[in-house]
Amino acid sequence: MNDGGEAEISVDRPEPVTVVIVDDHSIFRSGLRADLGDGIRVVGEADAVDSAVEIITRLHPDVVLLDVHLPGGSGGGGAEVVRRAAPAVPGTRFLALSVSDSAEDVVAVIRAGARGYITKGSSGSEVTRAVYAVAGGDAVFSPRLAGFVLDAFGAATGEQAESIDELDRLTVREREVMRLIARGYSYKEVAGELFISVKTVETHVSAVLRKLQLSSRHELTAWALARRLL
Amino acid sequence: MSTSPIPPRARVQRPPLARPRECVLGGVCAGVALHLGWSVRATRWLAAGLALCGGAGILLYAWLWAMTPLEPAEPGTHGLVHRRVAVPWALFAIAAVLALVVFSLGGGFRAGAVGGSALVPPLTGVIVCAAGAVAWDQLVDATAPRTETAARWLRVVSGALLVAVGVLGPLVWGAAAPGWAWVLFVIALLAGAGVLAGPWALGLWRELIAERTKRVREEERAELAAHLHDSVLQTLALIQTRAGASSEVARLARAQERELRDWLYSGERRIDSDLVTDLRDTAAVLELDHAVRFDVVAVGESRERSGGELAAAAREAMLNAARHAGGDVSVYIENARDGVDVFVRDRGPGFALDDVPADRMGVRESIIGRMRRAGGSASVRPGAGGAGTEVRLHLAYDDEGEAE
Repeated sequence: MNDGGEAEISVDRPEPVTVVIVDDHSIFRSGLRADLGDGIRVVGEADAVDSAVEIITRLHPDVVLLDVHLPGGSGGGGAEVVRRAAPAVPGTRFLALSVSDSAEDVVAVIRAGARGYITKGSSGSEVTRAVYAVAGGDAVFSPRLAGFVLDAFGAATGEQAESIDELDRLTVREREVMRLIARGYSYKEVAGELFISVKTVETHVSAVLRKLQLSSRHELTAWALARRLL
Repeated sequence: MSTSPIPPRARVQRPPLARPRECVLGGVCAGVALHLGWSVRATRWLAAGLALCGGAGILLYAWLWAMTPLEPAEPGTHGLVHRRVAVPWALFAIAAVLALVVFSLGGGFRAGAVGGSALVPPLTGVIVCAAGAVAWDQLVDATAPRTETAARWLRVVSGALLVAVGVLGPLVWGAAAPGWAWVLFVIALLAGAGVLAGPWALGLWRELIAERTKRVREEERAELAAHLHDSVLQTLALIQTRAGASSEVARLARAQERELRDWLYSGERRIDSDLVTDLRDTAAVLELDHAVRFDVVAVGESRERSGGELAAAAREAMLNAARHAGGDVSVYIENARDGVDVFVRDRGPGFALDDVPADRMGVRESIIGRMRRAGGSASVRPGAGGAGTEVRLHLAYDDEGEAE
């Protein structure tokens, strides 16, 4: 059934987005596979850390849909997959899948290099949209992740970056964008509200993602430590 | 016919045999005297006289003590027993006197005036009385009004006395002490050490046990959480995906997931709930009754209480969104230093405030009016791009004190 579907898609679109699904539940993998849109081709699946690293480095997919909690490896779950596989596949983007809708669960994976996260309760079209966004180089920010960022960077208490290069705090604009995303605005609505282009919004979001990954703020490092201990 | 009612009445008037809570030693004599209608003083003398008859009075006293109940406590009191004689301290005093006897006998023994067997009775007495003082204090006087400090002092002096007898006794008596005495010296030393270090060791032991129990429980919980996470939560997520976001089944699955997650990860819930917890609970309840999915995001440390006007207005806004818009609704709570903002944004058909008839109290009164009365502000406007409605509630803190 899947083979027929894939053949059809590849005729329609010469260059579909190739995806590898990494999740230790086969039911969830097959459900997700059936739900993804026509422009997405699932080229492989994996159910543990080691097999995921092997398949990703062999297939070089555009996007990896990566469960946060995975068995195998040295117990690092999704974050470990990103750390081990990313250097070998520079063109591949990682999108974290989390059964939880709390941003804290996925921060470790995002800091390892994932471009964002979606919850497992999201509909097929939401996942599809997120896959496209990540494949196009954008970050996928949920309201909750935006809220976490505002908290972690002290934006709620008025901390503010002096220059764009500063990694440990948000700029005024970034903070505005994050606040609107936390209020449930789409990128397009954020752009309309702030009178800037969607492209600019995406730039801000990517900048925030970069800070989230590289910052050594205590709130973020403490988090990573706590998670690893669990 | 005329004499028959008298004996029952006489029996009824006799008070029940019970020990009073205000007493000298055990309350036995007073209780018996009251029961039999005797004089308390005479009863005491009788008991003392019997005690001299080979200890029969002491046995009778102990037997009555054991078999007679305390009189019922008066309502409103703690039922404490007030004794006029401080039994533990009396016992300690006897032990101290006997200890002096032991030491002085030692001197007499050295001088050849006393035989070795004379050592055993006072030495046994020291051990029994000193240990008895502590035991009485801990067990019998547990219902008496006593302070923790007094109990500790009694323990320390009794333990010290026992240790002193155990250590100094052999020095005074020397190698000439009879074999029995050596056993008693060792027992005194051990009892003293036990009395002194007992509570501390007991506390340490209890702490150790409590810690171990806690760790085991936490491990079990983590294991259970990992298992449920891998099975049940995944399945619930899958159900939500397959059943369509706003279907009945998906709503049930989502509510169930939320409950399970709360139980698994947040541990015990705080009784004192804040604004954020309150709105999350509201979201969970509304999701069950309406075809709606709330995404509640909170930023900053919540300082607003749940019972406040702001929480009530926010709940009303959420209820409106659930009723009239449905679908995905975003709730964003921003706690800043100088105030708190709540945004409720839906993607429903939207409405303008002017279109609402003046007699409809919902928005005008329960949201805008309520916020104004609480000293804050509220605005209702179309969402970004003209889609849906966004309610913004703002409440500024007057000063730091009010926020506490």
